[in-house]
Amino acid sequence: MEQSFGDFIVSNLTQFWEFTGFYNATFPHFVMLAVGLFFIWLAIKKNFEPMLLVPIGFGILIGNIPFNTEAGLEIGIYEQGSVLNILYNGVSAGWYPPLIFLGIGAMTDFSALIANPKLMLIGAAAQFGIFGAYMVALAIGFAPDQAGAIAIIGGADGPTAIFLSSKLAPNLMGAIAVSAYSYMALVPVIQPPIMRLLTTKNERLIKMKPARAVSQNEKIIFPIVGLLLTCFVVPTGLPLLGMLFFGNLLRECGVTTRLAKTASNALTDIVTILLGMTVGASTQATTFLTKETIFIFFLGFMAFIIASTSGVLFVKLFNLFLRKDQKINPLIGNAGVSAVPMSARISNNLGLEYDPSNYLLMHAMGPNVAGVIGSAVAAGVLLGFLA
Amino acid sequence: MATFHCSEMKKSLVILIITLFAFSANVFAQSRSGLKINEVMVINENNAIDDFGQRHAWIELFNSTHAPLEISSVYITDDKNNPIKYPVPLGDVNTRIPKRQHVIFWADGCPSRGTFHLNFTLKPGQENWIGVYDADGITLIDEVTIPATLCADQSYARSIDGKGEWEIRNDVGDKYITPSSNNVIRDVNNKIETFAKQDPHGFSMALMAMGVVFSALLVLCLSFLLISKIGSAVARRNKRESQGVTAEEVKGNLADSGEEIAAIVMALHEHLDAHDQESTILTINKVRRSYSPWSSKIYGMRRLPK
Repeated sequence: MEQSFGDFIVSNLTQFWEFTGFYNATFPHFVMLAVGLFFIWLAIKKNFEPMLLVPIGFGILIGNIPFNTEAGLEIGIYEQGSVLNILYNGVSAGWYPPLIFLGIGAMTDFSALIANPKLMLIGAAAQFGIFGAYMVALAIGFAPDQAGAIAIIGGADGPTAIFLSSKLAPNLMGAIAVSAYSYMALVPVIQPPIMRLLTTKNERLIKMKPARAVSQNEKIIFPIVGLLLTCFVVPTGLPLLGMLFFGNLLRECGVTTRLAKTASNALTDIVTILLGMTVGASTQATTFLTKETIFIFFLGFMAFIIASTSGVLFVKLFNLFLRKDQKINPLIGNAGVSAVPMSARISNNLGLEYDPSNYLLMHAMGPNVAGVIGSAVAAGVLLGFLA
Repeated sequence: MATFHCSEMKKSLVILIITLFAFSANVFAQSRSGLKINEVMVINENNAIDDFGQRHAWIELFNSTHAPLEISSVYITDDKNNPIKYPVPLGDVNTRIPKRQHVIFWADGCPSRGTFHLNFTLKPGQENWIGVYDADGITLIDEVTIPATLCADQSYARSIDGKGEWEIRNDVGDKYITPSSNNVIRDVNNKIETFAKQDPHGFSMALMAMGVVFSALLVLCLSFLLISKIGSAVARRNKRESQGVTAEEVKGNLADSGEEIAAIVMALHEHLDAHDQESTILTINKVRRSYSPWSSKIYGMRRLPK
């Protein structure tokens, strides 16, 4: 039977209405849209890691526009063949994080670490945040692979967290990534009270000897030796460590300036945009708003606290074995987490608060970049044990 | 000029040789040595059926690598004197075996039925030797001798896919016959199960993992302490040789920190009133306003009729 003109119009408009966001919206969608707007507000108004929170926040908005998921329109991030799904492949297959690491390597000056190699141990100690959180996650009831993926948040390293969770617990990746980046943005809020609590006034006033000048040759040798030694111990960290040290060699060798510039600027910017946006978009209300997500945020918070605490306490312990003129200011212990350079800046600011002539930035950069290496090694260890 | 060309050519030649060497190593690494005979059934009475609805002896090949493996142009044979008996044809997309996956070849003596139908049959009640040769027809990739004692509906299979000991399977207990699927069927990740059982609180993981992280960074730390000592010794020796000063004086000079060097440089800069060389070229770029019909006033004006 042929439809009348009016029926035709009405049925089409009804069908169109069923495709709209207004028809398909549920309460969780609005919650997630509010979270996205909150992230954007934090980034723009409070200047909390805007390079990360703006793409993630806007990605959350993109990912939580309600639509008819059964219509097969190929628009959702989890629908195979959709544009967002193609862009998301860099996250799900884990190839964005190594590219970010290439950029980090090309941006990072390892001089502080090379000048004072013992600072590397602080970077190692702070990784206890990861394994402390692993224990808490097991106690809450997560399986070992999920616990490992969540615990890596304690490394304070977004790309590493995404890389590891894409391998160990892909279903939790969205929550883990958002949690890792959120707490990285909140490092200035989380770390100072812990640092004040765990140090005495005298310890905060310790002035460290200025770092020696590092030769060009040492800077060139560092990424090569670093790659060989760390990857021989933990080959599972190769994608991250390989790219990190490769980027650093591009920077330091002096003959690939153009490549280093591209890796540290254009390439990193492009990947950061894609990574942030797709991670945000992966937090669809239906998969994101679960009990697990709340636990993950709690565990991420725990991991950051444990990591900062273990870094500071390790320096205090280390000082017991050092000569008086070689003592390390425990305020740089927090920088063992790899939130570069945010946590080193916090060490510096806190140091200046107690002694306006005590600049700790360069000293703190040592454990800070060691933290980057340490968290990549820790990710490799977890991958080796649990994958 | 000729000397320059000669040295450049030598340099290029060295780079070429190194590159070729590297690529040849790579080619070797990606050879088809990862292709394994994984399971064989000689007398098939109640087992798998081919695409023609018939039962025949079958040979399962397994790609033991973690990358797709193209097996066209390899040879499968039951005759040591004729290693190129059945060439796997080119041009069939199904001859690309995904990582850690299998394909079945039917030993029915009817190669006209398709790529996966061999031109020989296996002999019941006799030892059957099966070999897989690479495309050169010389390199033996894998071989197996099937015992004559193999009964009907029994298979001869590796205990672990691609590498385990060969064993007779009769579909009883855990001796599954598994044409075109894994010989070891797992429903859980053993590593995770073991960790969940042996280390429910995570202490062992924390201990082991922190040990590895500390070891890796400690080795790196010690290496750089060593490298910086060697570097300092070399720098001291060079300075001693070039300036003719004593070892003690050199040691004192080398201890200068970056801050001290910066202070000296600043003092020299002030003292010499030195400035950076500047090009003194002033560049004036023309400011272009990009044209767009959207912003053009002419389109907003009423035109007079002609």
